[in-house]
Amino acid sequence: MTNRSPIAITGMGAISAIGQDVAANLNSLQQSKHGIGPITHLETFHRDRLLVGEISMNNAALYDRLGIPRTEAYTRSTLLALVAAKEAIDAAGIDLGSPLRTGIISAITVGGMDATEQYYDDYLDSDTHRHFIPTHPCGYSTEQLADYFGINGFVTTISTACSSAANAIMLGARMIKAGLLDQAIVGGTDCLSKFTINGFNSLMIYTDGHCRPFDENRNGLNLGEAAAFIVLESPKLVEERKKQPIAYLTGYGNANDAYHQTASSDDGEGAYLAMKQALEIAGLTAEDIDYVNAHGTATPNNDFAEGHALLRIFGSMDNLPDFSSTKAFTGHTLAAAGAIEAIFSVLALQHQLVFPNLNFSQPITSLGIVPQTNLKSKRISHVLSNSFGFGGNCSALIFSKADD
Amino acid sequence: MSELTQELKAKIITQLNLEDINVDNLEDDTPLFGDGLGLDSIDALELIVMLDKSYGIKLSDPKEGRKVFETIQTMADFIEANRK
Amino acid sequence: MTKPIYIHGHGCISIQPTFETNYFFETVHTYAQNPIPVLDPDYKARIPPLQLRRMNKSMKMAISASKLALEEAGNVDIDAVITGTGQGCLRDSERFVETILADEAELLNPTPFIQSTHNMAAAAIALALGCKGYNMTYVNNANSFESALLDGMLYLQEHPSKTILLGGVDELGSRSPEFWNIAGYLKHGNSIIPSPMNVDSGPGEISAEGAAFFVASHQEGKQAYGKIIAVETRHKTEDAAAFINQFLQRNGLDIEAIDAVLMGNNGDVRYDGIYETVCRTLFQGIPQVGFKQVLGEYDTVVAAALMLALHMLKRQQIPKLLHMNGPQHHGLQRILLYTQRRGKNHSLILVER
Repeated sequence: MTNRSPIAITGMGAISAIGQDVAANLNSLQQSKHGIGPITHLETFHRDRLLVGEISMNNAALYDRLGIPRTEAYTRSTLLALVAAKEAIDAAGIDLGSPLRTGIISAITVGGMDATEQYYDDYLDSDTHRHFIPTHPCGYSTEQLADYFGINGFVTTISTACSSAANAIMLGARMIKAGLLDQAIVGGTDCLSKFTINGFNSLMIYTDGHCRPFDENRNGLNLGEAAAFIVLESPKLVEERKKQPIAYLTGYGNANDAYHQTASSDDGEGAYLAMKQALEIAGLTAEDIDYVNAHGTATPNNDFAEGHALLRIFGSMDNLPDFSSTKAFTGHTLAAAGAIEAIFSVLALQHQLVFPNLNFSQPITSLGIVPQTNLKSKRISHVLSNSFGFGGNCSALIFSKADD
Repeated sequence: MSELTQELKAKIITQLNLEDINVDNLEDDTPLFGDGLGLDSIDALELIVMLDKSYGIKLSDPKEGRKVFETIQTMADFIEANRK
Repeated sequence: MTKPIYIHGHGCISIQPTFETNYFFETVHTYAQNPIPVLDPDYKARIPPLQLRRMNKSMKMAISASKLALEEAGNVDIDAVITGTGQGCLRDSERFVETILADEAELLNPTPFIQSTHNMAAAAIALALGCKGYNMTYVNNANSFESALLDGMLYLQEHPSKTILLGGVDELGSRSPEFWNIAGYLKHGNSIIPSPMNVDSGPGEISAEGAAFFVASHQEGKQAYGKIIAVETRHKTEDAAAFINQFLQRNGLDIEAIDAVLMGNNGDVRYDGIYETVCRTLFQGIPQVGFKQVLGEYDTVVAAALMLALHMLKRQQIPKLLHMNGPQHHGLQRILLYTQRRGKNHSLILVER
């Protein structure tokens, strides 16, 4: 490994529109099977107008799968998070009852908004749903995760718009490196809500069809819902318990574009700084990166800025490694995006695969860059994963192959 | 026409919270974006909502807005030509 | 363990005139209402009109408090912005929900949606300062500021020559307090600031809002207020005294090393017992100082308490109005802050002269 003390990844769990566990997600990625379709769970004016990456299980089914009585107040983001975090914890085989210092760091942007928007007036008139009132703040979701798994160590929640989960993963790694934690369950979750669908629609960056990342004629994103968590451990801990990591987290970077409330700067300065830092932390150079899982939301502004930043980092189009956005599979899952794409990055390393960028036909004229559009087998040692958000929040993570 | 430009000025000032500007010191040909009034892409979206709500004119592509919202005068011309 | 960080400047907006230079709670505003909005400083003095016109309460408070902190620290360059907010930009969130419920089929004004995002305060600060460095927002209920503080200490450990801005902000919103009332969080009647301490004033908290920001670095500087030694949070604990003892042990201290404690009593009879227990078992002979009885309760109020602790260290004084028990101090070297909200989100912050 290039990095002196890489953070080990020992487990992961995911639920998204393309699969209700990691294996199902991988299968869909390999089969080019996207999860974008009509809205079926939410009662909204946009039901037959906009396409989303929806998880087919409804809340009742999620309660049952988790063995939680349906009378208790869990919002959809939390239910999804529990499913994903449980898979990750089981896969890692970590002992949450041990005296080890365990942290849980979750990312979320909608919090309990799906309940708040549904019961906004109802709360005032009737006590039927009032037990959902405490679920509104973002932190409540993470606290429910901590309670469910009996984690009484470090608990926190991050909300930096669409870069949230990348930052949760980054904090976990930094705390382990600094010796503040031994193991951390890190990731993010966001369910679909009328709030976010209407929000992105009001910004006129919601496509009327399927999103087309990095295409000249892209006209906006599809929202999706997902939860994804990974288990990070200190190098010492995995050695002690003789656990073979599935991959390493070697680099991370966080910067702010400081350009505009919502728009990215044309030259993608924040994105560039985040990627540059991630390479520095990993002790790698741009040539070492074999695949980039791009943020690629398919909004005109993001893909242009990100494409520009990629060209700056890699120097020229010829030096640009294979890259793709997987958002045409899952939709943009907001706070979960950085985590679900972290898992896709690890899957790329484990299976030596570049996942396709769907719905692409024509390169952005002024950039000329072309994403990988078919599933491709190749040698992959290092993957760069980007996550950018409103408010100029830009983060980048680098994942590296576990020793064979 | 000048009635419409006056009306637009008042609406824009209210909608975009331009507290320090009043109808009298906003010229018909002051550029609304960039070095003029300094509005940005979010303001452009707010103006699209305003066109829809006040004048029944729908712009589906924010890019169309750039030309329309250049100045108060271009907005007024556009409204006159498209108003229902 | 992370190394201590020095605080070079602070800015605080609350329901007391904390934004005034050298305010030290000599006199306090009285209130008989719940919830209580902040005393607004002149936002125009520190925010250009073109930016101000599109700022919600959280953004205005956060930027003003940040600029106050920067002015005090000599307008140094900032390398990172780290914030906490328990509730985020509540009013814009409410506004956007109300718009959706009223006319979802229409074209909606996008501004409330954009500004409902929890990271908007940190983003607005980065934008106002042109700070392209590390930028984070923690949203962990009553431990949001503590998470930001911990991250700040970690960041400075990783980047010892840098200077950061860290803080917490929370606003009230309009419909949300109605929900809090329904959920039984708020006090009915007896909603008086300053709240009488050590008397049974029934259940409920007095809800307020505010922002407090700090300029921090590893460098001692010429006129630092003091330094923060450690911060720790615990989502739940059955035994707060044990949590405090372990924290002190980890920092190589015993109770006698603490010269004063700042306690988060908020007059909610259901949870103030937790403070009474630790006071009885641990802090009997130590000056106990309150802050929520004059600042009200909100998720990031501990940031304002940190400002108070730093002022106490600098002045070597305890504001009379806030002193809750008998013992006087014999020099203030080290102050411990302990707070929790509704029996959850326990936190400890240790500050030193």
